[in-house]
Amino acid sequence: MNGIGVILGRELLALLRSGRVLAILLVISVVASLVVLLKWPTTAIVDLDGARGREVFRWVTYAMLAAAILVVPVFPSTLLVREVRRRTLELLLNSPLPRSSIYFGKLFAMLGFVVLLLSTTLPAMACAYLMGGLSLSSDVLRMYGFMMIVCTQLTVIGLLVGTWCRNTESALRWSYGVTFALTIVPWFPDALFPGGTSPLARGLQVLKLISPIPGLLQMLNQNSLSGTGLMESRDAVFWYLCFAMTFILVGTIVCIRRLSHSLLDQSRSQGYITDDQDSWIQASRRVLYLVDPQRRSRGIPPFINPVMVKEFQCRQFGRMHWLLRLVAGCAVLSLLLTLASARGTESRGVEYTGALIIVLQVSLIVLLTPGLAAGMIAGEIEGGSWNLLRATPLGPARILFGKLVSVILTLALLLCATLPGYAVIMLIKPILQPQVIQVLGCLVASAVLAMLISAAVSSLFRSTAIATTVAYGVLISLFGGTMLVWVNRDAPFGYAMVENTLRLNPMAAALNAMQAEGFTAYNLIPSAWWIAGISSSLLLVLLFVQTLRLTRPD
Amino acid sequence: MASAEPVVEIHELSKHYGEFVALDKLSLTLNRGSILGFIGPNGAGKTTTIRILVGLSRPTSGYAKIAGADCVNELAKVRRLVGYMPDKFGSYDNMRVREYLDFFGAAFGIPRKERQRRISEVLDLTNAVWMQDRYVESLSHGMQQRVGIARTLLHKPEVLILDEPANGLDPEARIEMRTILLRLAAEGRTLIVTSHILPELSRICDQVAIVAGGRLRAMGTLQEVTRELSQRRTIEIQLLTGDGIQNVAARVRTALESDAEVTVSEAETIIRCRTSANDEKLGDLLRQMITSGDRVGQFREVAGDLEEAFVTAAREAEAERNAQAASRRDVAEVAK
Repeated sequence: MNGIGVILGRELLALLRSGRVLAILLVISVVASLVVLLKWPTTAIVDLDGARGREVFRWVTYAMLAAAILVVPVFPSTLLVREVRRRTLELLLNSPLPRSSIYFGKLFAMLGFVVLLLSTTLPAMACAYLMGGLSLSSDVLRMYGFMMIVCTQLTVIGLLVGTWCRNTESALRWSYGVTFALTIVPWFPDALFPGGTSPLARGLQVLKLISPIPGLLQMLNQNSLSGTGLMESRDAVFWYLCFAMTFILVGTIVCIRRLSHSLLDQSRSQGYITDDQDSWIQASRRVLYLVDPQRRSRGIPPFINPVMVKEFQCRQFGRMHWLLRLVAGCAVLSLLLTLASARGTESRGVEYTGALIIVLQVSLIVLLTPGLAAGMIAGEIEGGSWNLLRATPLGPARILFGKLVSVILTLALLLCATLPGYAVIMLIKPILQPQVIQVLGCLVASAVLAMLISAAVSSLFRSTAIATTVAYGVLISLFGGTMLVWVNRDAPFGYAMVENTLRLNPMAAALNAMQAEGFTAYNLIPSAWWIAGISSSLLLVLLFVQTLRLTRPD
Repeated sequence: MASAEPVVEIHELSKHYGEFVALDKLSLTLNRGSILGFIGPNGAGKTTTIRILVGLSRPTSGYAKIAGADCVNELAKVRRLVGYMPDKFGSYDNMRVREYLDFFGAAFGIPRKERQRRISEVLDLTNAVWMQDRYVESLSHGMQQRVGIARTLLHKPEVLILDEPANGLDPEARIEMRTILLRLAAEGRTLIVTSHILPELSRICDQVAIVAGGRLRAMGTLQEVTRELSQRRTIEIQLLTGDGIQNVAARVRTALESDAEVTVSEAETIIRCRTSANDEKLGDLLRQMITSGDRVGQFREVAGDLEEAFVTAAREAEAERNAQAASRRDVAEVAK
């Protein structure tokens, strides 16, 4: 226990000393206060049924959940990676502290931060309680207990990811990826297509219960996820708690087992290359790999931007053999999705397939783009290579162009890989061709906007971890946060509010173009394109100005 | 070998960050083919000077030129003339050494065929051919330093600016680094090298510049600098025989100033003097010894200690800083 206390004290103190933590707590506190201010009664009419109090309660809870998903995974995921890189984990592992003490010390320190984070919403929650209509034990305290479990699960995800990753950037990417996969993704397909009775639909209904969102909505007495008719028959809170507790337990055991010297034993690459080997080995590797990853590169060809080539080479999955695998994987997934849903086309319609592919593509964009673009400038500054780049004759426009093209090409490959799905849609229902073209326009807008947001954020920070976190935060708020407004489209939000909010989200515009269920009532195109276009242009200008500033002599 | 043609010219270079003066009218000239050891305590202004020379920073006043190209107005030209190795390596993940060099070669616009040839040349020059297929981030610090030097050489720069190239290297790697730098100087390149490992610098540099408090304290050959900054010089007098060496030492003591340190090594038949006497006085001493019939084999000045000169310069700068602070306090008190 003493060991836990030592680690806990150090970690918690480090967190509390950080200006970033203070800023995060302040922002959440301000947002929660704004919610109360917006919903505070302006008339002298007494609200006997407590509807307004419950509305404030709901809003504050949404803010808490959004804050938890966006903020909580950041600190634990980078904690262990930093320790490994600073070589302080060696010192800890060589101390008499047992591994479990190190793990629980860190976990409890992170939970201490979580308590602080949740407590920033206490004044807002107190206001909601004072408005009436809420029970302290069955509403307020139960909600905080539920949120603590959610945050503990997210913390365990972060710590677990931290034991696998080698740098903060990939740790953030993976922890957001896993968080996204466990919270948002399972909930989306069922929210889009409620009420199905097929095995696939039933499977989706069960799958969504691993996400905390259905349980949370059930606790808010919003039994319908999308507000369009599906009454939650299962106890979503119970099922989620079962899943979360199992996850926490298994995650803790795995994490403690991995927290050993093996984390530090990284063998150095011996520079294995096939050029020096027999020709038959080289030939067979060409056949097997298409592009042999161990072949000596012939150099950057003329007329190709060297920065672009460098960006591809530096990425973990940027080499040609990985890109081919990625594209093949996406193409197979797209065809599988199309095949599976095309079988149920008669009952659900082609729109079902289209909407699924759109959600898949935008999820991929949101998940991958910050990893590709958020470190493009911040990573170079942090690693010390930006000065080397500045000392070359490359101008800011060429540097920026090379970096952006490397991201555009990767995203384009991903988008193209999922195109077969749309081809099948057009084959089944040729009349949908104009809609599909609109959808593709929306997806391009989504990709460009996501890339420019991440790149612009990258130019504003000197640390990749912070830039990646902020980029994920902005993208998840834009693509996921606006969908929360749509989920509550009948209450508390009115039609105009939902439509205006959805205009900010090119994915919503794509779903609208595809005439997906729940989106048919809105008119989002072309206004969503205009908004995306103007935002992208402004971001591009900001990015260029920042690059110019950073390449100029100080 | 150094020629008389100046290749680096710095004239009254100043850099202010708000009230803080990082560089204060620093002027120096460096001839082609020479190796300049640029030394000074932490925060002396070395890196600021280097950053201005490579075009990463803009001076507040004064100018710096490399082979006639202005470091502010002719940046594109300067970048091709200078090879810069910062103290931080600046590696990229997942890149092999050859790819890393290929990228920087392409960034300098070297055509592909020539680039491949140059990469082989610079890898050979820095004894790094065997690591060409290794991943840059997996290399040890010493190996990375070699790759760093190879990178700076790719575009055949006239001037190489190396910030702490020997930092963190083991003795063997340091010897290799020294050999590489001397080889580069022999090829006619001009080198500016900063380091805190002064014995290392004194072995390779033909010029030394000491900066402290943003000002140039001394510049010249090692001997000139140490003589300029050290209050005392070391003279060794070797006698052909050890007979009467103590008597000779006693006469030397009388000839020099009263606080001069004179020690005798009978085994080596050497008399060592630490004195502040000037050349004239030492000439008189030698004449006196010869006329007295002392059998003088050698009468030489031993090269001064760079570390001592460094410490003297650092102390001078600190004293200046303290005096300035005191005068500011006085002014403030008078104003009150």
